[in-house]
Amino acid sequence: MSDAALKASIFQRLHPRAYLERFIAENFRPDGRPFDTWRDVSVNVGSISTADGSALVRLGETTIVCGVKAEISEPELDTPEEGFLVPNIDLPALCSPRFKPGPPGDEAQVLSDRLNEVLSSTISLSSLVIHPSKAVWVIYIDATCINYDGNVFDAALIAMVAALRNTMLPKATYNVETGQTSCTRTIAIPLQILKTPVSMTFGVFDATLLADPTAFEEPLLDTTISIVVDQKDDLVSVTQLGPGVDVSGTESTLSTCISAAKARRGYLAEQIP
Amino acid sequence: MALDRRRINGPEESSPPVFDSDEAAPGWRPGDARKKRAPADIRPIFLQPGLISQANGSAYIETEKTKIACAVYGPRQSKNTSYSEMGRLNVEVKFTPFSCTRRRAPMRDAEDRSIAVAIHQALVASVRLELLPKSTIDIFITIIESDGLDGCVAAGSVAASTALADAGIELFGLVTSCAASVVGNDVWLDPTEEEAQFASGTLVLSCLPALRKITSVWQTGQMKVADALRCMEACQERCTETHSVVAQALLENAKI
Repeated sequence: MSDAALKASIFQRLHPRAYLERFIAENFRPDGRPFDTWRDVSVNVGSISTADGSALVRLGETTIVCGVKAEISEPELDTPEEGFLVPNIDLPALCSPRFKPGPPGDEAQVLSDRLNEVLSSTISLSSLVIHPSKAVWVIYIDATCINYDGNVFDAALIAMVAALRNTMLPKATYNVETGQTSCTRTIAIPLQILKTPVSMTFGVFDATLLADPTAFEEPLLDTTISIVVDQKDDLVSVTQLGPGVDVSGTESTLSTCISAAKARRGYLAEQIP
Repeated sequence: MALDRRRINGPEESSPPVFDSDEAAPGWRPGDARKKRAPADIRPIFLQPGLISQANGSAYIETEKTKIACAVYGPRQSKNTSYSEMGRLNVEVKFTPFSCTRRRAPMRDAEDRSIAVAIHQALVASVRLELLPKSTIDIFITIIESDGLDGCVAAGSVAASTALADAGIELFGLVTSCAASVVGNDVWLDPTEEEAQFASGTLVLSCLPALRKITSVWQTGQMKVADALRCMEACQERCTETHSVVAQALLENAKI
């Protein structure tokens, strides 16, 4: 590492806020992006043979692997004609020095909960029924973060949706006499996906709106705003963490984010096979 | 079972789909030759150091279906431990829930611990821990897809050693590792999960090819002494080849 680069990285570690402020003053971000630009997205599906559906998503350096496993269970007594959709995200100690080994931490719990809320509308649970009140599919969607470089929610949602779209279920039949469910390897049916939600996250730093924040920028943000829209440009979810700030101009920050998210949705949805 | 409030829970019980038995693929019978590969062939290795930008050192390894990511953090200050002259090497292995044929519920089971111990044994003799008093080196391994446990131990050790070198930690040499199974009268190198089921015994050998030294031998199942020696010799030969793959991968990564 050259002397100047070393000095810059020491300054970044000791005074992260001042470091970011100086970049913002020059209308750029530390990784060279303008404020409203996103990092590159790449999606790769079906590479894990032990899963019924899988996806690998890279958003800049952030990397998420997601696998879907389908199992069979009895439905709940009060909802005999509904299957289960169980999304979870794991942030293992591998992906960042911020995390410790062990059970899911606060951040992973919050992310899993938000993903569960958004994904609940993507599949009709009644399409997962094999035999009412006897046998239904349980779709486990497990995402693991391999590299944590910010905006994990957006990347995880792309990974989960792409893995669901990649999932094939074997044809299952319930035998009323034996009470057993058996499947055939020859016929596979894709899941019925109702919605393809995509999320776009923005951060506000000192009245500047930053799209797709990195792991370095995230802890310095005053406010984080996530906009989730479906394939018809309808809003699925809007999350704002932190105080509402008016970024320069007359429009409110939230509506600026929503229109920016809608402008980007088409491109992002194209990346999901 | 107590409800785990830290995760999104499904139903209390669920079971993997049961397939009609007549569709099952025919297995191996004594006397059959190995399919797809020659007995002494290993699966091709793809190795990429430095993929995890947040870590001090990292490596991703793929041998056909087996896919493993490894990150090294440290050397960093040991916490909650008494003073120690030598550094500590901490290895943690985690299977993703979708890594095996049967879903792994995210509770720590004994299997990942035993693999962590085996990888720790393979590596600990190669790291110059005497230079790092009061410090810990954390090695985190995530198994994304597994095709044979012995293959995971071998590939995990190779990835971890590559990641240690990528982190710039002083080593005596690079550790490479290879698995071998005794099937009938033959020695099959680098067995897949299916092949390991036919084996009477399996051995994983880890060594430092540059110093011509062995760091660990991990044998399970039944094996004649002569067969164990045959396995070790065959493994050692492949380890030397793997060593040049690892060295090449590290060299290419350093150039960029």
